[in-house]
Amino acid sequence: MSAQLNAPGRLNGPVLAMGLAGLVVGIAITIASLMYSGHAAFNTTNDGVSWGLPVAVYVFFVLASTGLTFVASLAMVFGMREYYPIAKRCVWLAAATLIAGFASLAFELGHPFRMLWAIPLSFQISSAMNWMGLFYTLYLVFLLLKFSRMHAGDWDSGASRNLGLASFLTVIVAHGTLGLVFGMMAMRPFWYDGLMPIYFLATAFLSGLALAVFITHLAYGFSTQNMPARIAALLAGALPRVFAFALGLVILFVAFRTITGLWSNADGLEAFHWMVRSPWFWIEAAALIVAFYILMSPGMREAARPQTVASVLVLAAIAIGRYEFVIGGQVVPLFKGTWVPGLIEYVPSLTEWMIALAAISLALALYAFGEKALDLGAEPKAG
Amino acid sequence: MDILKTQITRRRFLQASGAAGAAGTGLSTLKLGSIPEAKAQGTAGGGAYTITKNICHQCPARCGIDVYTMDGKVHALYGNTDHPIANGKLCPKGPIGTYILYDPDRFKQPMKRTNPKKGRDEDPKFVPISWNEALDTVATRLNALRDKGESHRFMLAYGRGWGASCAGLLGAFGELYGSPNVPIGHSSMCSDGSVLSKQAVDGNASYNSYDYRNSNYLLIFGAAFLEAFRPYNNNIQVWGHIRGEKSPKTRVTMVDVRMSQTAAAADRALLLRPGTDGALALAIAHVILTEGLWDRAFVGDFRDGRNRFKTGQSVEVSVFSEKWVKGLIEWWNIELKDRTPRWAAGVTTLAEHDIVEVAREFGTTRPAIALFERGAHTHSNGVPTGMAIHTLNALVGSLFAKGGLAYQMGPSYGPMPVKADDYKDGYAKEGPWKKFPRVDLKGHDDGYPLAKNMLQEIARNHLAGKPYKLDTAMFYLTNPIFSGLNVREWEEALKEIFVIDTSPFPGETAWMADLVLPDHTYLERLQDAPTYPFQGFPIAQLRVPAVKPLYDTKYFGDTLIEIGKRMKGPMGEYYKAIGNSENVIRHIAKGFEKDPGDNGVNSFETWKEKGVWYKKPYMWQQRSGEFYEWDGGGYNRKMAPTEVKEKLLKTESGRFEIRSGYLEKKADWIAAKTGRAKDKLAFPHWEEPKYTGGGDLHLITPKMAIHAEGRSANLPVAISLYQPGTGGRTQTLAEIHPSVAKAKGIRDGDRIKLKSSAGEIPAIARITELTRPDVVVLPFGHGHWAHGRWAKGRGSHVDAIIAQQSDRISGMANYYSARVSVEKA
Amino acid sequence: MAKWGMVIDLNKCVGCQACTAACSQENTRLPGENWQDVLYYAEGQNLTWLPRPCMHCENPSCMHVCPTKATYKTEDGVVAIDWDKCIGCKYCMIACPYGVRFYSDTKPLIAPDVRGAFPGDGKRSWAPPYRLPEQFEDAKHGVGVSPSGVVSKCTFCYHKISKAPKGTADLDEDNPATKEHTPACVRTCPAKARYFGDLDNPQSRVNQLIRDRGGVRLLDQTGNKPQVYYLTGVGGSVPSSRAKQA
Repeated sequence: MSAQLNAPGRLNGPVLAMGLAGLVVGIAITIASLMYSGHAAFNTTNDGVSWGLPVAVYVFFVLASTGLTFVASLAMVFGMREYYPIAKRCVWLAAATLIAGFASLAFELGHPFRMLWAIPLSFQISSAMNWMGLFYTLYLVFLLLKFSRMHAGDWDSGASRNLGLASFLTVIVAHGTLGLVFGMMAMRPFWYDGLMPIYFLATAFLSGLALAVFITHLAYGFSTQNMPARIAALLAGALPRVFAFALGLVILFVAFRTITGLWSNADGLEAFHWMVRSPWFWIEAAALIVAFYILMSPGMREAARPQTVASVLVLAAIAIGRYEFVIGGQVVPLFKGTWVPGLIEYVPSLTEWMIALAAISLALALYAFGEKALDLGAEPKAG
Repeated sequence: MDILKTQITRRRFLQASGAAGAAGTGLSTLKLGSIPEAKAQGTAGGGAYTITKNICHQCPARCGIDVYTMDGKVHALYGNTDHPIANGKLCPKGPIGTYILYDPDRFKQPMKRTNPKKGRDEDPKFVPISWNEALDTVATRLNALRDKGESHRFMLAYGRGWGASCAGLLGAFGELYGSPNVPIGHSSMCSDGSVLSKQAVDGNASYNSYDYRNSNYLLIFGAAFLEAFRPYNNNIQVWGHIRGEKSPKTRVTMVDVRMSQTAAAADRALLLRPGTDGALALAIAHVILTEGLWDRAFVGDFRDGRNRFKTGQSVEVSVFSEKWVKGLIEWWNIELKDRTPRWAAGVTTLAEHDIVEVAREFGTTRPAIALFERGAHTHSNGVPTGMAIHTLNALVGSLFAKGGLAYQMGPSYGPMPVKADDYKDGYAKEGPWKKFPRVDLKGHDDGYPLAKNMLQEIARNHLAGKPYKLDTAMFYLTNPIFSGLNVREWEEALKEIFVIDTSPFPGETAWMADLVLPDHTYLERLQDAPTYPFQGFPIAQLRVPAVKPLYDTKYFGDTLIEIGKRMKGPMGEYYKAIGNSENVIRHIAKGFEKDPGDNGVNSFETWKEKGVWYKKPYMWQQRSGEFYEWDGGGYNRKMAPTEVKEKLLKTESGRFEIRSGYLEKKADWIAAKTGRAKDKLAFPHWEEPKYTGGGDLHLITPKMAIHAEGRSANLPVAISLYQPGTGGRTQTLAEIHPSVAKAKGIRDGDRIKLKSSAGEIPAIARITELTRPDVVVLPFGHGHWAHGRWAKGRGSHVDAIIAQQSDRISGMANYYSARVSVEKA
Repeated sequence: MAKWGMVIDLNKCVGCQACTAACSQENTRLPGENWQDVLYYAEGQNLTWLPRPCMHCENPSCMHVCPTKATYKTEDGVVAIDWDKCIGCKYCMIACPYGVRFYSDTKPLIAPDVRGAFPGDGKRSWAPPYRLPEQFEDAKHGVGVSPSGVVSKCTFCYHKISKAPKGTADLDEDNPATKEHTPACVRTCPAKARYFGDLDNPQSRVNQLIRDRGGVRLLDQTGNKPQVYYLTGVGGSVPSSRAKQA
């Protein structure tokens, strides 16, 4: 029960401190930079890369949130009770990562506060982005309501279950519309795909699984000895196997998508060549494959350290992948002629890195706060 | 982010006004602050806008423009619909005029140098002074020089002089003051190669006027018709008509050294080795003669009608009866008979069949125009090349013909308020200054007896003290320390000379100046300008101030007059009688009373209202070998040969002199100074170009379409549009062929060095097949080391590595003879 | 109401960029903010160019993605941006196949930033003295100097064309009655390669040119259906491949 939580907990303090420090530094530099030079502090330009690192960070976090809710929903919605022990932690982190994602996006917009009245009063129904925003907002509300129920000990009353279901359904729609934001772009073949939401779902689920494994180990000091029995059992049983399955699926997605893009001559797909020319792609590929190997090896699959390593590798790979995805769809210039003779060159500016730092730190700080004060290890009483 | 933005704007405003405060007291960095606005921002813009007339300043074309002003601020420039050159249109240079007016780096008042040391890296430490102090300083200095009998040591060099109220005043000033060096024009750095070529063969020391609209064939040598050739705006209008509307469509062949816009838009592009245009022209002439394509009505014919022009075979002079040409057979015999297409192909690297096809097209399509400009003649062989090309026009009968080319009539200006001759004192008439040659040795056998000007060598002459050292130099609309050759010599020379600059902008000359007497920018001026050669009929346009001067500047014409008033003796009286530049303009406008323009302009007031006076048509036309004058209804009055000689073919013989009598008169001198064979030098002939600088690649430095005569380097919008063909939007790029890049290990975007005997400059490489493998193309106009916050330090200063070489006959600075070596930096 | 469209004759266009410069002046654009742009392409020695304004598509993908309907289509066929509603999400920039949109807060193309020389005043992100006079500014249609944090693009010079008398078939600079209503790029083009008129009027010159010279639309396969047509050859040119939509 909850008393077992925080027994080691010795990492919470440092994590929280790190989070807060990063937040302060990140936000301070960002705001100073934006005040001094406005959006000129970003390296996005009118050549065609309009969405830069902050958008990639946003995508990473909201899909991580999606995935974490998916993992928690295995218990909350699909009744797989062996996942209950980690559900509350996953829900809280899902909220934290979602808020971090929103924060990253807020810095990116020209007029973020105007959004609050302009969208409701002038809602463009054909814009996938609107539905994404709407559903991610609804999702956050449902998620926090569900969390408050869990925190109050109400795990499976009708209302609680409905909130869980609502959280799950809204996040499925939300991530789906996020996928459509990119997937509907017929003029950008790098993104154009009606099945992009499915790709996002698979990678979201994978990042949720990786995060679930990682934070569970983090909470218990990276040693199964400190863990409650049910969590240990989960980590030695279903979780790594589902993790491996999701990872295998994503590896196939990435491989076939990349091969198709490299093979085709169509205009716009030069971005795939751009992608594989970078060492980061190969680091991503190697990370995914090594992680897969770990999770498929009977000896390592169930051990704490290898699991942690695998989850870190997967998260790193996904982070690289989000960046490649968001930027890749924009590097081929549209009607810039000789003004941009090759592919558009973009590297994030210091301010953009600081926004990423602020977002990560926010997630960390919120998470660590929850770990400290909100008994994230709680689970429904057995039976 | 919107909330943060108000913070930013306040911050920036503080920055800007802080800078303004610093600049008001002294120009430590020549960085000036914000522009004063006539009214506060946020005026609910009441009232309509006003339109005043003006003339675009950005090239010699002199397009009339409409200036839109509201609340004392100019916000738009469009072409004047009723102006015959602009016709309501503008080229890309036109609209950037508003940025020139509001350039934040402009001088706000006269400046005096307080730092005695001069140099690129020496801040002049200017302090603002009043106009009285500035003008008194100049006058005191000039009076002192004159008192010492050294008035010849005062030079006034000018570039884009406009008309009677500015550059037109300079001749009188020089004669009254007593200096042969007032004025010295820039034409030797401009395009005198073509002027002298034409003078040699048809007696007109001028650019041509052209009737493109009615022409069916344009053969263009080294003139960037769609990028720079003036009047650029009208060229494009004409192109739209002759290529898009006219029936039949005019055919165009472009001869150049790179795939420019014109070359790409033409029907055929012939990219030849730089400096070999003459060989191509000669070969075309050869084909025209051997295939019997010449215009017999104009040129003449064999008496029995049998064509005896056969490759390699001489012809007896007497068997041909010449009409309006002189020396055709002698030319054939001494030069042309061996100048075959095959020979030309070897020289130019063009394909023989292309040369033959072009020759046949040109020879069989009437009317056809062969035109050329700097690309062809800015080489050591520029004059014979120009003569060869221009002779093609004679061979096909285009001279003064409909659809051909002619010359330009001047406007009916009235006389000046007073005559300078009435104010010359003894010193002016016979002073010691009369014994001295011009400092550029124009007209001097040791220098350039046939040239109009020789501006680029003045620095060298001064440093050598030959013919003498200058004491004071004033510059109007010219900046040879940046745009000349061997620019380092100019830097050294100006260190020793008392320099007066009149530019509104803090350019390189200003940086080296002792005094700055800043002019208005053109939208603030009342200024006249007769037309540049256009279609032949006279035009005179007018600038009317659109706004009150933004700063304490003074129109150059008035600066000169005010200096003049302060001169001792009758010279001062002359200028007091002149009064001011407006008085000059009022007087010249009186000429329109007796000769009203087609649009009714017959006075100063109507001239201001319409912006332009013009009178169609061009008075003369050649048709089927006869010349006619306009009689009010048509070209009907046949002209006698003496009239033709007086007005049109102004040579000794009154004919087109393929054998140039003008050059023959100076044959001994030419032979001695150029090494040319005495028997050939008077004819268009082939001469291998002499390249300068060492190195393995030709350095070609074209003018870009948005290059606004010396003023676009500090205009961000112009910089961003500068070199579209290869994407140069923040600075000029050096265009290199892939084979060269590969050989030298250079990749696209690499920093490179261009080196010649004259120096070395950095550049950024752009790999492109648009240039020949033996050519590197780097447009001029960037590479300033002063001139404003956007100009300084941007791009490559091409003139710094072009070694001095000038045509001995025309004085033409050989910009395109330069060769360089290229390597990774 | 009119359905404004433009025709550009590539046979006459010489790539001089007068249109770009005129637009920049008329609409107070920053360097590089080429609402109208002339794009050059070089393949080997083959040098070509293409003037590219906003296409003002019939089915604008930019409009469909704008979350706040800041981008919308006017009754007279112009795709406009309402700066009071734009939140600067830049989705429209992503969704435009023609690259015609510009975000007002980016690094300057030319340093030092021109906006530093002419600081803004809160309403406008910069305020040079030569800017479009206030009485022509129209934030609801994206005309004038934009505020910070929003997207801008070619407006077909809406402040001019919207004042043309109803029923005008063509806005031609050579017609004194329509000269001041003609978009800057069309008005100034020295080659007279640009035409502007009502695509819904069968008698308009733009329709006549499209018909007689085989006007084509760029990237027709996207289905956006631009209202800017290009004239290339007389017989042979890129066919318009779109079947008529119901």
